[in-house]
Amino acid sequence: MSTPRKYAVRNLRLCTKDCICLFVCPYGATDTENSVIDVDKCVGCGACAEACPSGAIYMVPATYPPQQKKQDSVLEAMGELSRAKADEEQIARQIAAETGEEGLARLMKAAVKSLRLVHEDVMRESGYMLPQSANAQALLARIADGEGASAQTAKELLDLIPCNEP
Amino acid sequence: MKAVCQLCGYVYDDEKESVPFAELPDDWTCPCCGAPKEFFEIEGSPEEAAEPVADAQDEAIRIATDAEGDVMAGLSAGQVAALCGNLARGCEKQNLPRESALFAQLAESFTAQVEPIDGADIHGLADLLMGDAGRYAAARNAAKAAGDRGSLRALTWGERITNMLSYLVGRYLKDGEAFLKDTEVWVCAACGFIYVGDEAPELCPVCKVPAWKFEKMEVKAS
Ligand code: SF4
Ligand code: SF4
Ligand SMILES: [Fe+2]
Repeated sequence: MSTPRKYAVRNLRLCTKDCICLFVCPYGATDTENSVIDVDKCVGCGACAEACPSGAIYMVPATYPPQQKKQDSVLEAMGELSRAKADEEQIARQIAAETGEEGLARLMKAAVKSLRLVHEDVMRESGYMLPQSANAQALLARIADGEGASAQTAKELLDLIPCNEP
Repeated sequence: MKAVCQLCGYVYDDEKESVPFAELPDDWTCPCCGAPKEFFEIEGSPEEAAEPVADAQDEAIRIATDAEGDVMAGLSAGQVAALCGNLARGCEKQNLPRESALFAQLAESFTAQVEPIDGADIHGLADLLMGDAGRYAAARNAAKAAGDRGSLRALTWGERITNMLSYLVGRYLKDGEAFLKDTEVWVCAACGFIYVGDEAPELCPVCKVPAWKFEKMEVKAS
């Protein structure tokens, strides 16, 4: 059997766990003990997604198109923001660790989380949308060149994630 | 007259309220997102065009960043950490739990490698956050010129979240611990919006996820 171009994923929060997808899947891929659709059995026909009354099943592509190229002017401005966010997060982390004030500690804990999420979003729009992108793969390759546990983790990721760009 | 919250878009319509906007007390806050009265703009009034310019703060940032060392071709450890965190989320969305966990591991280990910043205090943080206004303006202009809608979305959200954080830090500087006594600090786990109040808002004013996505900040009693 050739690799499917798509496969089905069930959103457990939406699934009412009582019904129809079990009957419609020709391969028994939806009938699993942990409710996670079996990727190895699914051929991506989409029958389950169509039948689900709760909109709990969606189809994800097995391969993604290359991400949009970013312009240098945007990347540069995003870089400025990214550097600021990194410093802000670190300052907030240090204050949270050092302060004896209970309220300030909570506010700085919130700041660390908030700034990281905003920073991640900046990175996503800085040419790192897809883990399959050439940018992400180059980053992993550089980390893998180093030493220690991170290098090992990066190598594992390079083995797991195929690049979708030439 | 109508006043619109620049953070969440809530509209205060004088015709529908018993108290006109202008007569609301100074400590009145937006019923939707908790933003202060000064975050409201009168509908129809020309938006202030003067964008604050990034100032000497930029220098300070670059110096702090350089001190962190060149971890990955110009990226500091803190930046690589955010990058890997972002890719962890990307994998999660693609339903790749194992890959997501590995990226999260990388993010954690790079976070631990960030060099401490000398003299880090809340005043320094407040200054940096203020400087973000100029950085957001510059990035928005670049994204507009490039027709880059993805970046514009990220910048709009990021700036609102940063404005709120900047306001809260300013409030803390003014009122101290009294400001946060007997109330909770919440963070939207989807976008990072911070909300101060007894209960999480029903919907995130920035990204619109429901209240259960908000996380309450707790610290161990010392
Ligand atoms: S059809 Fe939809 S709601 Fe019903 S069990 Fe399957 S996934 Fe869940
Ligand atoms: S897409 Fe088709 S093969 Fe895959 S789980 Fe759904 S019904 Fe079964
Ligand atoms: Fe949100």
